[in-house]
Amino acid sequence: MRKIAIYGKGGIGKSTTTQNTVAGLVEMGRKVMVVGCDPKADSTRLLLGGLAQRSVLDTLREEGEDVDLEDIRSQGFCNALCVESGGPEPGVGCAGRGIITSINMLEQLGAYEDKVGLDYVFYDVLGDVVCGGFAMPIREGKAEEIYIVCSGEMMAMYAANNICKGIVKFAQTGVVRLGGLICNSRNVDRERDLIEAFAEKLGTQMIHFVPRDNDVQRAEINRKTVIEWNAEAPQADEYRALAKAIENNKKLVIPKPLPIEALEALLMEYGLFN
Amino acid sequence: MIEEFSLTEEPKAPDLSHCTAATRNACKLCTPLGACLVFRGIEGAIPFLHGSQGCSTYIRRYLISHFREPMDIAASNFNEDSAVFGGAKNLHAGLKNVSRQYKPALIGVATTCLSETIGEDMAALLLDCRRAIPDLPPVVHVSTASYRGSHIDGFHDAVTALIDQLVLPPDPHGGVNLLPGMLSTADLRHLRELVEAFGLPVTMLPDYSDTLDGPTWMDYEALPEGGTSVEAIRRMSGARATLEFGDTLRFTRRTAATNLAERFGVVRENLGTPIGLRATEAMIQALERISGRPCPPAITAERGRLLDSMVDAHKVVFGKRAVVYGEADLVIGLTSFLCEIGVEPVLCASGGKSEHFPTALRVAVPELPSTCMVRDNMDFADIDALGKELKPDVLIGNSKGYGMARALDIPLVHAGFPIHDRLGGQRVLHVGYRGAQQFYDQIVNTFLARKQEKSTVGYSYL
Repeated sequence: MRKIAIYGKGGIGKSTTTQNTVAGLVEMGRKVMVVGCDPKADSTRLLLGGLAQRSVLDTLREEGEDVDLEDIRSQGFCNALCVESGGPEPGVGCAGRGIITSINMLEQLGAYEDKVGLDYVFYDVLGDVVCGGFAMPIREGKAEEIYIVCSGEMMAMYAANNICKGIVKFAQTGVVRLGGLICNSRNVDRERDLIEAFAEKLGTQMIHFVPRDNDVQRAEINRKTVIEWNAEAPQADEYRALAKAIENNKKLVIPKPLPIEALEALLMEYGLFN
Repeated sequence: MIEEFSLTEEPKAPDLSHCTAATRNACKLCTPLGACLVFRGIEGAIPFLHGSQGCSTYIRRYLISHFREPMDIAASNFNEDSAVFGGAKNLHAGLKNVSRQYKPALIGVATTCLSETIGEDMAALLLDCRRAIPDLPPVVHVSTASYRGSHIDGFHDAVTALIDQLVLPPDPHGGVNLLPGMLSTADLRHLRELVEAFGLPVTMLPDYSDTLDGPTWMDYEALPEGGTSVEAIRRMSGARATLEFGDTLRFTRRTAATNLAERFGVVRENLGTPIGLRATEAMIQALERISGRPCPPAITAERGRLLDSMVDAHKVVFGKRAVVYGEADLVIGLTSFLCEIGVEPVLCASGGKSEHFPTALRVAVPELPSTCMVRDNMDFADIDALGKELKPDVLIGNSKGYGMARALDIPLVHAGFPIHDRLGGQRVLHVGYRGAQQFYDQIVNTFLARKQEKSTVGYSYL
């Protein structure tokens, strides 16, 4: 089983990219579980067709620890298994602890056991890793491969660089490695070159360049991934390509995060400020 | 041959000197413990911890073993669910149950590490509870994360919270406020006696002299009689002065006494904890000044007897080396007295982290030899290590130093909190001329007993 976590700056398109990529993998016949690690619980909407789902923590709160896996795990597009951790409303309690509780509970309930026959588990983690709880998926060997969604915008790259610092830290005590950067294009000038150069400096690769396409929004408004909404759309092929690239990826590294000056120099070099 | 034997090396303890981050055998206790002790000193009050149940159990056991009295501490009993979603539901249910079952005059809510870390908005939560629970008694809340400060900070913060949240606009009366700090039940009783001897009505906050040192009962009393009444606390704004004990508090920007001074203009009289001759005299002078009365003869007589006994036994204690440890202000008081009687303190240690401790000690006891080490933020491993080098003749402090006294083969004179290995630890009198007298006799007798024990001849006349 490949254990993958998707990180990146808030609003960069992690959930959209994750679900569209998972759609590509399940279409290929892979067995995949997506674990949404965001208190907003909106990581599996496209795979489930907008089905309102009870989150792990909602169930815990309402029914205590006497819960069945089927209460919290739903089947979506092509039998993709979907779980939402959930969490407290903003400003209350501890969402980080919620992620820890939720993942521990999934383990106890046997969601990762061999008999489930998973090829992949994807953790879709909210943008800002603000405390230890949000790093839970990359601790203790839960996720082994990280993909960072970014774009050519400065703050997205800054966040990606910071996440790399976290990976370096956790890589020392565990097996977690960086699998690559996914560029979710914002149509910034020379974006592909910039992210490729950034990836090289980090010691990793740009695993795929996802072009900007309004079909993604069209599919989203229909509560579907692009592949499910229009299997013939060119953008569907982009996600299939990304899924395939991840399937075949062997380049797993401990990244070398950049000093802030080097990051700024890179942006200057690729003409963002010209 | 025998000498050779005694020279063989003992197995060496592992060298942990590099582990500066680790606390080994802490010389301080949990922050909410201090707050619970204060709330126990309020009439009809119940301490209530917002957090996990273990916090309440630990504090209860610790206090019960010292005071040898039962002590109920309620808790909102956090579980996994409360840690994630916040403890609002548990707080609400807890306050409702406690109101119904205990019918308390006050609920003193102290937070714990867990509720502080998840950022519980206590003011808002308590406002919601106030709206939702009819007949909820007054609730005072104090923030006591145990990773910030120690039990003594929890103690002072709880006193400040009570004053901040309960006191009403002033209605002048002739009484005085007394903020004694963390002292024994015997100390609290004696302080009340002293202040009242000057004809001054006194509101002492807190006063657990009855609630934690009472008579036997026929039936269990969940909230024992005694303590400062909520009504009296509300009226502290009308007092003519606030006596606040604690040398370190003088250097602290915001205390309960400054709160009363700034909000209501009540004169703040900060004094050292009245342990020993000098500090007791300062207190007596303050009482003379405030009351306009001279010191009653009975108290002056106690002072005379104390001085006389110092003459009688100076040769027994003079030049003896002592290690003193405990809460900063207690250590300052004890050190002051030891210097008065000719004992040489070689190490004054506090487990708390008070930046003011060394300064306050040097100001209060200017004759303290500069060679005396004054350290805060110490644990017993540190004190132990220094103790071995300093070769003291006596340890003065709570029962947690017993292991060290045993290892160094020197006596331990019990003072402070906790005293878990003797009966009457809660009744050790530290303050006033009377406290100094008892303490002096005890120190002298400890050295005399030691002399007898170590002598090859059975002298019965010393």
